[in-house]
Amino acid sequence: MNTLTLPGSVPTLRTPGGITFTRLCGVELRKQVDTRAGLWLLIVIALVNTALIVLTLTTVPPSELTWANLTSTASLAQFVLLPLIGVMAATSEWSQRTGLTTFALEPRRTRVNLAKLVSAGLLGLLVMLLTVIVGAVLNVVGIVFRGGDGSWAMDWSMLAGAALALLLLVAQGVAFGLAFLSTPIAIVAYLALPIVWTTLTMFISGLAGPATWLDMNVTMLSLMMGEMSVLGWAQLTTSVAVWVGVPLAVGLWRTARRDVA
Amino acid sequence: MIQAEHLTKRYRSRLVVDDVSFVCRPGRVTGFLGPNGAGKSTTMRMLCALTTPNSGRSLVLQHPFRELRNPGRHVGVLLDASAQHGGRTGREILALSACLMSLPAARVQRVVDVVGLTAREADARTRTYSLGMRQRLGLAHALLGEPQVLILDEPVNGLDPAGIRWMRGLLRSFADAGGTVLLSSHLLHEVEAIADDLIIIGGGRILAQGSAAELTSTSGGLEELFFDLTAQHGRGQHGRGQYGREQFGREQFGREEVAS
Repeated sequence: MNTLTLPGSVPTLRTPGGITFTRLCGVELRKQVDTRAGLWLLIVIALVNTALIVLTLTTVPPSELTWANLTSTASLAQFVLLPLIGVMAATSEWSQRTGLTTFALEPRRTRVNLAKLVSAGLLGLLVMLLTVIVGAVLNVVGIVFRGGDGSWAMDWSMLAGAALALLLLVAQGVAFGLAFLSTPIAIVAYLALPIVWTTLTMFISGLAGPATWLDMNVTMLSLMMGEMSVLGWAQLTTSVAVWVGVPLAVGLWRTARRDVA
Repeated sequence: MIQAEHLTKRYRSRLVVDDVSFVCRPGRVTGFLGPNGAGKSTTMRMLCALTTPNSGRSLVLQHPFRELRNPGRHVGVLLDASAQHGGRTGREILALSACLMSLPAARVQRVVDVVGLTAREADARTRTYSLGMRQRLGLAHALLGEPQVLILDEPVNGLDPAGIRWMRGLLRSFADAGGTVLLSSHLLHEVEAIADDLIIIGGGRILAQGSAAELTSTSGGLEELFFDLTAQHGRGQHGRGQYGREQFGREQFGREEVAS
């Protein structure tokens, strides 16, 4: 057996560097993609997007084959599935009990949670960037094989709006994960609650007014169209405060106090 | 050095840890003994800031755990070998922590070798691990940051006799080099064979503490002492039989249960 390299006999505190926030974010990002669940979610996103791309490239009139259109086609799946990686990043510490390790290495739990939020957002931006690149490649494919329009005019406000919408959804996933601390409950709540709310607002006429302020499905529409007004920003901010801010605050409060066991 | 000062933890009306104070000294292995539900795990989680005490405090290397920066470089912690993501390989788990602690990647292979995991085992997902392999991985993880203090909850649980013997040697050399070791166990004879100091806890209270030589020199040895103490001081509502020998024997491989 190997002998251990052990520290000297005086148990005074050595001073190795602390854990920087950047390092913490890097580790949290790696944890989101190094499990089978995380990896498969990314693969499914790629597969669904590929299917949509194939459909678009083969059926859409050549005049509509542009960089902007192909990019938005190639980005649909991440809006549905990427937030689930955010959910799992938050819940796995508790459901898989890895928190016993994580929080023994970094006892400042809120700092760890914020690193999860930042790294999940970073993953979202990386996926968006990749989509834009794929969109460009597809535009060339469209030009070569279908005589597509091939316009390189990108609607940047729409793209930025889509990226921000993805960031908000991923943040909502992390927030729901932290608030519920159970993967199935958090995923069901994340997927079902907004649908229930949107459905209610459609059937109950009195809710139609509040919905324009309190339903992210509504407030994010103009964001993703790249048509934000001052009113639109106010409505978006309000709905995000309710759907992201509140669960995030609850989750941070809860995880900071809870026993890790 | 580990110092616990009047640690107390209450879950609703139940007092799980009641005014527990002790010191674990460098260069010595301190055994933490007690029946199931005695409060060992809760106490150890309080030492690592994973559970907040209702009152009292604890220091590791003269600092509250929460104030240690990069604590993995000072304190190696193994509280539950099964608490790992089943979808990660043992090597990936170690690599993640090495990265977090700013350790060179080579350190991972080093601790894998130290605990005797084969390359194949290290590269398997932990879902497939036996309890013994989990304990080895957990110990590798605790040693990763070259700490001066080890806090280990039931580390010999699930190890085969050769593994237990190996663990004994490893902890001995760690302490001999000036490290502080706190380990809990149900296994009286194991603790007797490793520990320099003993803390016996029952019903959340410390029943006895002192050097192992001192405590085991009483009539009948450690076993008699242990059963005498835990029977006398067991939680009142369960009566005297709660910590009887038979009960203990049956439960000794079970996971310690503490309300959470």
